[in-house]
Amino acid sequence: MLKEIKGRVWKLGDNIDTDVIYPGKCLPILDPQEMAKHALEGYDKDFPDKIQKGDIILGGSNFGCGSSREQAATSLKFAGISCVIAKSFSRIFFRNAINQGLALVQSKEAYDLLKEGEIITVDYVKGEIVTQNTKIPFPPLPEIVMGILEDGGLIEHLKKSLRK
Amino acid sequence: MRIPKKEELLKLQAQYKTDKKIGQVLGVPAYLVAYWRRKKKIPKHSLPKYSFERVKELWETYGDDRKAGNELSISKAAFYKWRRKYNLLEKPKVLKLAQLEFTLPGAGRGKNRGLTIAQKGLALKIGKSGVQVGEIVYVEPDLAMSHDNAGLVIKQFREIGVTKVWNPDKIVIPLDHRAPAESERTAEAHRSIRLFVKEQGIKNFYDIKEGVCHQVVIEKGHILPGELAVGTDSHTTSYGCLGALSTGIGATEMAAVWATGKIWLRVPESLKLTINGRLPLGVYAKDAILYIIGELTVEGANYKSVEFYGDTVENMSISERFTLANLSMEMGGKFAIVPFDNVTKKYLKGRAKRSYQPIYADENAIYENEYEYNISRLEPQVACPHNVDNVKSIDEVKGIKIDQVLLGSCTNGRIDDLEIAARLLKGKKVHPDTRMLVLPGSKSIYLEALKRGMIKTFLEANCVVLNPGCGPCLGAHEGLLAKGERCLATTNRNFKGRMGSPESEVYLASPATAAATAIRGEISDPRDFLKK
Repeated sequence: MLKEIKGRVWKLGDNIDTDVIYPGKCLPILDPQEMAKHALEGYDKDFPDKIQKGDIILGGSNFGCGSSREQAATSLKFAGISCVIAKSFSRIFFRNAINQGLALVQSKEAYDLLKEGEIITVDYVKGEIVTQNTKIPFPPLPEIVMGILEDGGLIEHLKKSLRK
Repeated sequence: MRIPKKEELLKLQAQYKTDKKIGQVLGVPAYLVAYWRRKKKIPKHSLPKYSFERVKELWETYGDDRKAGNELSISKAAFYKWRRKYNLLEKPKVLKLAQLEFTLPGAGRGKNRGLTIAQKGLALKIGKSGVQVGEIVYVEPDLAMSHDNAGLVIKQFREIGVTKVWNPDKIVIPLDHRAPAESERTAEAHRSIRLFVKEQGIKNFYDIKEGVCHQVVIEKGHILPGELAVGTDSHTTSYGCLGALSTGIGATEMAAVWATGKIWLRVPESLKLTINGRLPLGVYAKDAILYIIGELTVEGANYKSVEFYGDTVENMSISERFTLANLSMEMGGKFAIVPFDNVTKKYLKGRAKRSYQPIYADENAIYENEYEYNISRLEPQVACPHNVDNVKSIDEVKGIKIDQVLLGSCTNGRIDDLEIAARLLKGKKVHPDTRMLVLPGSKSIYLEALKRGMIKTFLEANCVVLNPGCGPCLGAHEGLLAKGERCLATTNRNFKGRMGSPESEVYLASPATAAATAIRGEISDPRDFLKK
């Protein structure tokens, strides 16, 4: 069950695109651990080394716009990112993240209220982001999306339903 | 030119609101319009102001940006901005009575509420007469397209543990992104795909010889009007040029489609875009859609279905409509549809190998927003680094030195695109400090260009003609950019690092602008060459 995620915030801007998250030249890589070494390389080439397990990405609007490459979501997940919070997500990235079991929170308010480096807790049960000073409510994800996310991604979700 | 009279300016302002738009209509810069306005004492157009009380009341009544925005005839996002301005961030605890008027099941299907193409198409897939916006439907696609990333799809498919794909005849795989293989790793992926299609009996496999996946799908008649396609490529929206519903998904999701034949989709809101007017000399479908993206922004159509109407669109060929549908992805579009007509019918003659049922929107269909454009005075447009909505008129960017010009891709690699570029390049040479790559969209386009002497023209002009495929567009191979280099491309994305070094720059424009730029070695207006 997806309940609480605690981590440190990395604050990025608007329109963080898939080429910035995962470069086209790395698309032939199939091993997710190796993909992780290139996560957000286009944003900051040392970014993959700076990420610590459990870190949270905070994006502005239209996060993940561009290509259908799911490696953008996979590389973030395997680099240790526990959750991506953004004002809005691009459609394909949203689906890919859910299908890879990468937790997402859509919140228009969070971007202005959270600071880089801050430690926050994302509480999926109550539907709020908790910081030292404040609580920011966010809308729940659709039931079908939560189902996939809670199973850890689409593959596991499908395996489970095929077993039934 | 003649300075417009006060009443003419007022009329234009009522219609076009901003100085920028009035300027575009008159073909003058915005500051000149502002100057005339000041001279004639016409105040700047201002948006209707909503009082704190009004916004607060609506927020407390609905607690929902969309519904509250509807009352003011403004968008969800616009209402949110007003709410934020007045610091009304928390959801109201107690809602007023109007909130209790909830939508009954079946609403939106009544006589007074028509359906959009997206609603009708998805309803048809589940055997219903209508579906509501926001509803989630499980549907079986008519086409599941993958390219080189089928390698990753296969890996995920094996993971699921199903042995046979749901329907080998609905799967199409052209190899194009890294074709021929640029590395050993890609060679392995290509090999695994070749083995897989044999094992599964997938007949619609096109090896590296055929061309860019979207072009191949259209040419070979793999998608037809009214059908639903999913593809592991964001520009799958292109098939809307034939009146189809088509959209991009990730590799894992495609593995699930291969395994189960089903995908969940949310019925999207729709935008109605009407484009009227005759495209001026040197201005093309590419310029029109870049202009629109500049207006609507890169997320202007996120999660939404875009429908195209108007006499400009009706007069466009399938190739030009393809460019519209392809680039609609760059404003986030889920579907981008040009309704079926005689042009579509003619294109499909001899290509369509099964019967099809075109879908039209109802006259009283409900759109989230409707936009109208008149392009009869549009100038050539250029999308500047690093976002596709950073669109400027040619005058603002001409003179910028360019190291590489790329003509081709799924956006603009068809015969009409090559033809206009060849017309400009005929008897001329690419500037010695610039290199030009030509990337035909498919083998059949390449052959046609060869037949018509265009390839000779390109070679004589010192262009490098590449095999049909995607290579440089996504920085995979064949023409990457070094640090500090600039490329003007007819492709669809100019993101940071897209075509190589994160410190390089990509500008997007039409094939005519590309050819003019290659000749002069700097961003140039194609009309300088066409007028002569």
